[in-house]
Amino acid sequence: MVGKQHAAGMQRQGFVSGVFLSILLCVIGFSIEFMTGGGGVALPSWPGNLYLLLLMLSVIIPTALLFRESRFVQWLGGIPLGLCLIVAVAVLSMFGGVLPQEQGAVTGWMERLGFNRMFSSWPFSLVMLAFLGNIGLSLVWKCVPFRRANLQFILFHAGFWISMACGLLGSADLQRVIIPLYEGRSSSQGYLSSSKTMVELPFSIYLEDFIMEEYPPQLALYDPETMLLELDETNTVHQVTEGLAMSWPEGIHLKVLRYLPYAMMRPSGEPVAADHKAGVPYVFVEGQAGGRSFSSWLSTGSPYEDPLFVGLGEKLLVLVPGTAKKYSSRVRIDEPGGNGLLETVVDVNAPVSIGGWKLYQMGYDENAGRWSKQSLLEGVRDPWLPIVYAGFFMMLGGNFLFFWNGMKKTKVL
Amino acid sequence: MTWIEFPFAAYGAMLLWLAGSLAGIASIRNRSFELPAKSLLWAGTMVMTVFLLLFWIEIDRPPLRTLGETRLWYATLIPLVGFLVEYRWKVKWLVYYCVALASLFLFINLLSPDVYDKALMPALQSVWFVPHVVVYLVGYVLLAASSAAAAHVLWKTGDGKLYPEGSRISHILALLGFVFLTFGLVFGALWAKEAWGHYWTWDPKETWALIAWLVYLGYLHANALQVKTRALQWYLVLGFLVLLVSWFGVNYLPSAQQSVHSYQT
Repeated sequence: MVGKQHAAGMQRQGFVSGVFLSILLCVIGFSIEFMTGGGGVALPSWPGNLYLLLLMLSVIIPTALLFRESRFVQWLGGIPLGLCLIVAVAVLSMFGGVLPQEQGAVTGWMERLGFNRMFSSWPFSLVMLAFLGNIGLSLVWKCVPFRRANLQFILFHAGFWISMACGLLGSADLQRVIIPLYEGRSSSQGYLSSSKTMVELPFSIYLEDFIMEEYPPQLALYDPETMLLELDETNTVHQVTEGLAMSWPEGIHLKVLRYLPYAMMRPSGEPVAADHKAGVPYVFVEGQAGGRSFSSWLSTGSPYEDPLFVGLGEKLLVLVPGTAKKYSSRVRIDEPGGNGLLETVVDVNAPVSIGGWKLYQMGYDENAGRWSKQSLLEGVRDPWLPIVYAGFFMMLGGNFLFFWNGMKKTKVL
Repeated sequence: MTWIEFPFAAYGAMLLWLAGSLAGIASIRNRSFELPAKSLLWAGTMVMTVFLLLFWIEIDRPPLRTLGETRLWYATLIPLVGFLVEYRWKVKWLVYYCVALASLFLFINLLSPDVYDKALMPALQSVWFVPHVVVYLVGYVLLAASSAAAAHVLWKTGDGKLYPEGSRISHILALLGFVFLTFGLVFGALWAKEAWGHYWTWDPKETWALIAWLVYLGYLHANALQVKTRALQWYLVLGFLVLLVSWFGVNYLPSAQQSVHSYQT
């Protein structure tokens, strides 16, 4: 009984000290931000970040092994402090999750304390450092001596430690380069999304074709006064098909009699089907507005052709181009001294790897839509990715074991 | 079946759940009401399941894009958690909380009708779409049930009595929910790398997903320290609020304007 009370007292003391340390780290962090004018932490890039990682390990591992019996070190690697630091990370993240994280989002003292750059700020970094120290110590104790029963703990915590430590330190080596490409032209330059400085890439990319598919167009009422589009009374984004009937509360009813996905207008005023590069969508509608009948061809228009629409009272009946369904770039990548010439397609959700870089389909000229001659790719180079992924997969393994052991322990399975 | 028919399905399910709950209350005194209660509760859930399936077929894509669509799944899945808990531990009360929560989320959908839109933006056309969102939804459902169980424990232990059976249920559901939250978080990071070039960009949705994960990570560590049961149950009840911010509250925060996780029409 006395032992139990003593343990509870120790635990309470551990919590009090943990809260104190967490608050102290935040105060120190915010003070540094205030004194440096909200500059944040500038992490060193390779190999400085590797040295920093090795330094962390060379402090954590010997401390854990040599001072295992020390009450202070036990507290440093214990759950009460860990819990306080989890709360501290969560609270700081809440600031970062509520306030926009960009320049100029906050002003005055909040900007000076780094509230708009929370995740590279001193308080966040110091709390994360302490958190990594706390997890690191407990990990060493679970690893030495190794027992099979500790595998779940080790996988989950080591996975978290590795992905956090290497993800944060490795962010200094992360390069994200926006590469504008134009059809029929080659480029080996991009600009850094962080600083907008030009970067020469170790390969050149020739854009053969920018390909885009759209969903079918939609009919909507446009109110020029509010500049808003009104969906029909069922609040549905109808994809146009022949036979589609629509109604609006203003007493407008219509039916689509003809739909040509790609067509051109003849001088006679009757559109004719055309190939998909040149044509635009046309629909023929018939209906009633305010008791009066109307019928007309409508078209979305294109950068080369004016749209066709109908005035119905104060509003306009328009054909809105469908949203993007799929867009990709057919490219030829030339990597001198590397793999030579690579013909491939860069698609959304399907990046292409080349010479340590990954190329992503990022965007296009949105004003031109599917007539865009421009494609924006993003090149990403992240040398720390394999180790961060190793951490992720360890976490997934640990998580699975946690599920399995937890279900056994609680007799669910 | 589309959003146009949704009110019929929603009111139908809610009425069946209400009738089932009333029959459940009556069964405390008269056991002959047990079977009708169970049948009505199941019937409500079947209405939502059938609606969801027909909606999926009609919309030609997994109905997991908009918040309204995720609430549909939520309302369909959460009573199932109640049924499973009842089947496994013979605990009858959880299912009533679950149908109440399901009704609440159907009601939110009725108040703010979704735009029916078949389009699926290219960023969402990925093999990760269904596993990432479904794993998260199951996690949210389990954690909501855990909060409901915790609220029940707080109600039952108000006069100082212990109720270990109840706190065991809230703990198991929180543990399971955390497992799904972890899978969802890591799957999300792996998908973000393929879609947006980096696994973590501190996008507001990512930040709040991490906060929600940390909240339940905190719970598990506090539980390991055997912190007082009532305090833990309060923690689970309040933890659900953070989960709600992460799920849809984040859209109303000042930070939302810079989020890439906005798939509303």
